[in-house]
Amino acid sequence: MQRLGRAFRTASRYSTAAPAESTAWHNPAAVLHRANDLRFEHHDLPEEIPRGYVRVGIRALGICASDLHYLHQGRIGKAIVDRPMVIGHETAGQVVALGPEVTGLEVGNRVALEPQVPCWHNIYPRAGRYNLDPGMKYFATPPVHGALARFVDHPAYQSFKLPDNLSFEEGAMVEPLSNGMQACRRGEVKPGKSIAILGAGPMGLNALACARAHGASRIVITDIRDDNLPLAERLGAWKALHTPMMSPAEAAQQLTSLLPPYGPDTVIDCVGHESTTQTAIEAVAPGGIVVQVGMGKDRANFPVLDVVFKELDFRGCFRYTNTYPICLELVSEGKIDVSSMITHRFGFSAEEIAAGFRCAADRLTATGISSGCLWKLSLINSNKALKSRASTLL
Amino acid sequence: MALNYMRALQKVAKSRLATCSAVTSSRGYATGALPEAVEPAVWRNPAAVLHGVNDLRFEDVPMPDRLQDEYVRIEMKAVGICGSDVHYWKKGRIADFVVTGPMVIGHESAGTVVELGPNVTNLKVGDRVAVEPGVPCWHNKASREGRYNLCPDIRFFATPPHHGSLAQYIDHPAAFCFPLAPNLTHEEGAMAEPLSVGVHACRRAGVSPGKNVAIIGAGPIGLITLLAAKAYGADTIAVTDVKEDNLSLADTLGANVALLQQPHATTAQVAEALRTALPPFGPDIIIDCAGFESTMQTAVQACVPGGKVVLVGMGQNEMKLPMASASCKEVDLLGSFRYANTYALCLKLMESRKVDVMPLITHRFGFSSDEVTVAFDTASRASETGAIKVMFNMN
Repeated sequence: MQRLGRAFRTASRYSTAAPAESTAWHNPAAVLHRANDLRFEHHDLPEEIPRGYVRVGIRALGICASDLHYLHQGRIGKAIVDRPMVIGHETAGQVVALGPEVTGLEVGNRVALEPQVPCWHNIYPRAGRYNLDPGMKYFATPPVHGALARFVDHPAYQSFKLPDNLSFEEGAMVEPLSNGMQACRRGEVKPGKSIAILGAGPMGLNALACARAHGASRIVITDIRDDNLPLAERLGAWKALHTPMMSPAEAAQQLTSLLPPYGPDTVIDCVGHESTTQTAIEAVAPGGIVVQVGMGKDRANFPVLDVVFKELDFRGCFRYTNTYPICLELVSEGKIDVSSMITHRFGFSAEEIAAGFRCAADRLTATGISSGCLWKLSLINSNKALKSRASTLL
Repeated sequence: MALNYMRALQKVAKSRLATCSAVTSSRGYATGALPEAVEPAVWRNPAAVLHGVNDLRFEDVPMPDRLQDEYVRIEMKAVGICGSDVHYWKKGRIADFVVTGPMVIGHESAGTVVELGPNVTNLKVGDRVAVEPGVPCWHNKASREGRYNLCPDIRFFATPPHHGSLAQYIDHPAAFCFPLAPNLTHEEGAMAEPLSVGVHACRRAGVSPGKNVAIIGAGPIGLITLLAAKAYGADTIAVTDVKEDNLSLADTLGANVALLQQPHATTAQVAEALRTALPPFGPDIIIDCAGFESTMQTAVQACVPGGKVVLVGMGQNEMKLPMASASCKEVDLLGSFRYANTYALCLKLMESRKVDVMPLITHRFGFSSDEVTVAFDTASRASETGAIKVMFNMN
């Protein structure tokens, strides 16, 4: 297993030259055939780039817990991998070709890809909530192909130019950061409000960074493990609390005593375990907002009376809308440090992809909860000779 | 001119619309660029085409051979005339939108689907539909946030250079065509357009039970906003105007107070009258459907502290307003422009009879050269003709 680390990163960081010419659209990709059957093989690209689309050479991609879930279970809920699907959705790259009628982008532009393409005729997109579109096409949600490939075709309007001082890695990190942004919007985070974030995994850390950007200062973050708590403090948590083996009542009590008089105004649950949902509802101040980001069991036990008596808003949070421009700006201005959340790096080859997913999975097993993994990136260096034969990775 | 008009009027009184058979043209149809006006033996697609100030012609506008992806072809059945149509006819422009080439007029419309383009799934041939006239580009910030009425590149019927819908046929995206329930007429389908303006104003204003609403201007927009405000549950609604013509209709349509302004009343006096008409404190919401300096001054003065003034009417662009007063009262001044995501609701309101738009249709015409002339003239002299909504019935 080869870790390429900083040297590789520096070399490719600020390159704006177009990638080297290779054989016409030879496109190796990480393709999930079914659970535990991830193959490094050629993935066809359309003959012609669709109208309004650009072809992007992928340069950085992050692995998310959902990618791991599809890998190990072959499904998430009703979304089932029943035919080969390219995996991966947190990505940035460089425009290598333009489809017809593309304005605003040129070959060579460095872009972050917002991985969703709504159908604008549906009610939700028209009302501004395109994340809820039932007709949504989302990278690596079956049957839509993802982006862990050499090239991906994507609508130009969902490909956002990276500011000059952003690396491709930081561009890819805008995707998970967007989830944090959406959570803060749903939670109405603003100056003067006290915030509790449950879970210091990637989702919690991104929510924390965004909460700071929204002007909140009294932010408490909790986790049953203490690994990420120092990082949480660096990212702006006022208090990072280790809460092992606590009942929801105990955890809620801790939060209320830290955030008097009535507890946090907004609680963002980035774990999604029944116990954290309960903690959130018990801890939040009357009239407050609980944002459910973490995804656990489908059915959970729920202190409904608390929701009634305290007039709580219990709000789901799903993906995001219209977050890319603001997230890129925040990272570019140095207001959010996403690089600190990147812990491991891998290259783009059969072996390295396998190693990357194993590393992510190890971290997952260690925490024992469904949404705890450290970030990993696959860096795709188009100058490398790439093997084209299919190979089973796992 | 008067003689021609009289002749046209006589023809209209005597005859009915001659049916025109439509034959699909082999020529292309570029927006804003119409073929030279000729008198074909067979009309393919008769339409009312604005060429310039006071130059509205009844001529053929051929349709493309093939429909675009996800478009449908609609045979128009009912088209209403709006004040903006009349304005383009009389002045050739509204603000920066200038009629520089022939443009089909009209945008309040409903018809029947006659042909489906590729990949249309929500409609079938024969469906009766109301047509939402503005098609945004979805990629800009306003559209992405759900406020597609503010899309800078929106293609809106009869806003230059885009063609409107006062024609026998139009092609339109299926996603912007809304099926009519069996108990709705095509005329009601066409009325969904002005009703949408009223609904959007009520949404902007936050009209709801417990709110007193004053509507300034009892023209077509003021009256339709009255209907929308009732549907939104407004507590007490006062409608005011300088002319008494439409105030009795406002009364019939359900205004709690119909206030006729005295000829030399000051804005302060009108404001006071509105406050008295809507106890205990006056209007929480004022919707200005006239849009003049005097009406906006009245609105700011009349509005309850913490209330909202919504400007719908487009009378004057620049006005002197008591802004310090607005500021100290924390009165919000809100613009309201067209509408977004209103058509489904408007059709439901009419279908369930919560809103009855029919009393607003005062004049009806068929679709011929002479009738177009008379209809537009009728609409443009509303104070003499008593016209509120002039409606074409076609095919």
